[in-house]
Amino acid sequence: MTENIIKARHLCKTFGTGVSKVQAVNDVSLEISRGEMVLIMGPSGSGKTTLMSMLGALSAPTSGEIAIDGIDIGTMTDSELAALRAQKIGFVFQTFNLLEALTVEENILMPARLTAQGLRGAKPHLEQLLQRLDLTARRKALPNTLSGGEKQRAAIARALINKPPIILADEPTGNLDSHKGQEVMMILHDIARDDHCAVLMVTHDPRVEEIADRVMWLEDGALRDRKSEQHAWVRDSVCGMRVDGWTSTISAQYRGRRFVFCSHRCLERFQQEPERYLSVDSDG
Amino acid sequence: MFYWSLKTLFSEPMRLIASALAVAMSFVLVIFFSAVFEGESDQMVAYLEKMDADIWVMQKGVSNMHMASSMVWDWKVDKIARIPGVQKVKAILYLNGPVKIGGKDWFSYILGIKPEHQGAGPWAMAQGNALPGIGEAVIPEVISQLVGVKIGDEITMIDRSLRIVGLTKGTFSMASSVVFVSHHDLGDLLEGKDQYSYIMVNVEPGVSIADLIEKIKYEVDKVNVLTNDEFISSDWQLAVQMGAEIVRIMTILSTILAALIVAFTTYSLIARKRRELAIAKALGFRNRQIYGAALGQSIIITGFGLLLALFISFTVLAWLPRIIPQINLAIRLHQFIPLAVAALPVVILATLGAVRTVAKVDPMTVFRN
Repeated sequence: MTENIIKARHLCKTFGTGVSKVQAVNDVSLEISRGEMVLIMGPSGSGKTTLMSMLGALSAPTSGEIAIDGIDIGTMTDSELAALRAQKIGFVFQTFNLLEALTVEENILMPARLTAQGLRGAKPHLEQLLQRLDLTARRKALPNTLSGGEKQRAAIARALINKPPIILADEPTGNLDSHKGQEVMMILHDIARDDHCAVLMVTHDPRVEEIADRVMWLEDGALRDRKSEQHAWVRDSVCGMRVDGWTSTISAQYRGRRFVFCSHRCLERFQQEPERYLSVDSDG
Repeated sequence: MFYWSLKTLFSEPMRLIASALAVAMSFVLVIFFSAVFEGESDQMVAYLEKMDADIWVMQKGVSNMHMASSMVWDWKVDKIARIPGVQKVKAILYLNGPVKIGGKDWFSYILGIKPEHQGAGPWAMAQGNALPGIGEAVIPEVISQLVGVKIGDEITMIDRSLRIVGLTKGTFSMASSVVFVSHHDLGDLLEGKDQYSYIMVNVEPGVSIADLIEKIKYEVDKVNVLTNDEFISSDWQLAVQMGAEIVRIMTILSTILAALIVAFTTYSLIARKRRELAIAKALGFRNRQIYGAALGQSIIITGFGLLLALFISFTVLAWLPRIIPQINLAIRLHQFIPLAVAALPVVILATLGAVRTVAKVDPMTVFRN
């Protein structure tokens, strides 16, 4: 077992050729240790998701090297990469991505089917996760009957069922209201601390910075230093939470003013009744 | 992934039933053609079976009744009757040809019966006399119902009119119904009043059929002698051969139809679940596991289709002759064997389209909203 569970060296990812060539990730190097919670922030289209997909062994870099738990994944076959994902990486997505026909319990156990221990071996861990994530009462529920927070907790449990050393979370609070978002962030924080997992999170949510060990700023495909004075705190006009106007991409223009929100849910609420929220402090 | 494919299929029961029903209907189509064909073939040998003879004697070189012609001198009937071991003899004059009933031509087995051979006549009557006299005919009840004729009405046999005196049961077939006339009328028509076509022989108890056949062959020249089973089998095979090609083509077409239905259903299921497949790939499931899931779905749909086809065939189809009496259906389990065999390539072919879709699913889709 290596301390640095993820090591990436000079990662580049290019899409297209000629005039349509896009450099999505440009010479990114990073190391993430077990127990560390790392945020990757940056504007939309900065290459965050592309970087995460490469670190998650879902797409290959154009150049550069990635080692997961000390294993160079560059030479692995598709089958070996699939096995690596099943054993070493847990994914948490913005849109939850639960399988519709399966119950909460079945969704959580799905990755366990890929391991040597199998379903039977995963059952005790399932019980722990259901209890820890407060899903015991909802274990037989189908995803379409769950709230957003419950769906994300189920997705987190699924990511944890095989006890992977790495959790990759892509905008895990993006579809949740501020309260549920906060709850999910704290769960991920606890996973890093208690389970000794490396949690790598792509987010626009500046509130997560407060609990993260490191924040990386990705812009134009390259990692840059993040300067603290670049915060521009404003209030989400819907829920009243503090939002960094400088980094947030969840915003709307109304009557010539820019309104910034902590989540898409707040944005949707604002768009339904903008007049109701006009008096609140904004970035305009 | 197979578990996922099962749950996904059963989470939309109406879609599953509709798909299985569509597959079943294409299979039922095959069964229907096969059952009609076998039913007709059965009916074409119904007369032979009902006569309950041990031995059939006919003109040398003839081994069938269907599509055949046979002439045997009448003295040969008497000669056979005198052979030791013969218990009973009956004979018919026979012509395979059209009879005009109710203004429509019905291709028929026309059997000329003499009063002394009444046992060669109808075996089940619906109405009227079983033995036609001169100028009379006994026709199937089903034909009388279809064209609205009744006892006393006239029919035309080649060049002469005959009056209906009886209606029979179990003698109708779309290809060859059985019409009974007097030996006198048919003999006159064929210029063979002193002849028969087929002689039916029953052996005395304890006498070997094979030995008696040899005796008849020895005693009576220029005849072919067959056991009842040989004669029926020969006629049935001929009838089946005549339609086998049509049934084979219908089976192939219906199988292709079933394959297309299963392929479309599996493909649409897979296509609608692209995102879930991307999730599965992201979680670590391999392509071959997902192919297995698609194959599993095809197997389930086709399997349900086959079971439904069995159910429909033995219930709905079996009732059809009660509503449409002119249809002779013989639904038998062996008709499902080619379908069950065809189901395997159906499943594999149907899965190919889905496999292509699965292979193209990009796990990166999971990051899209």
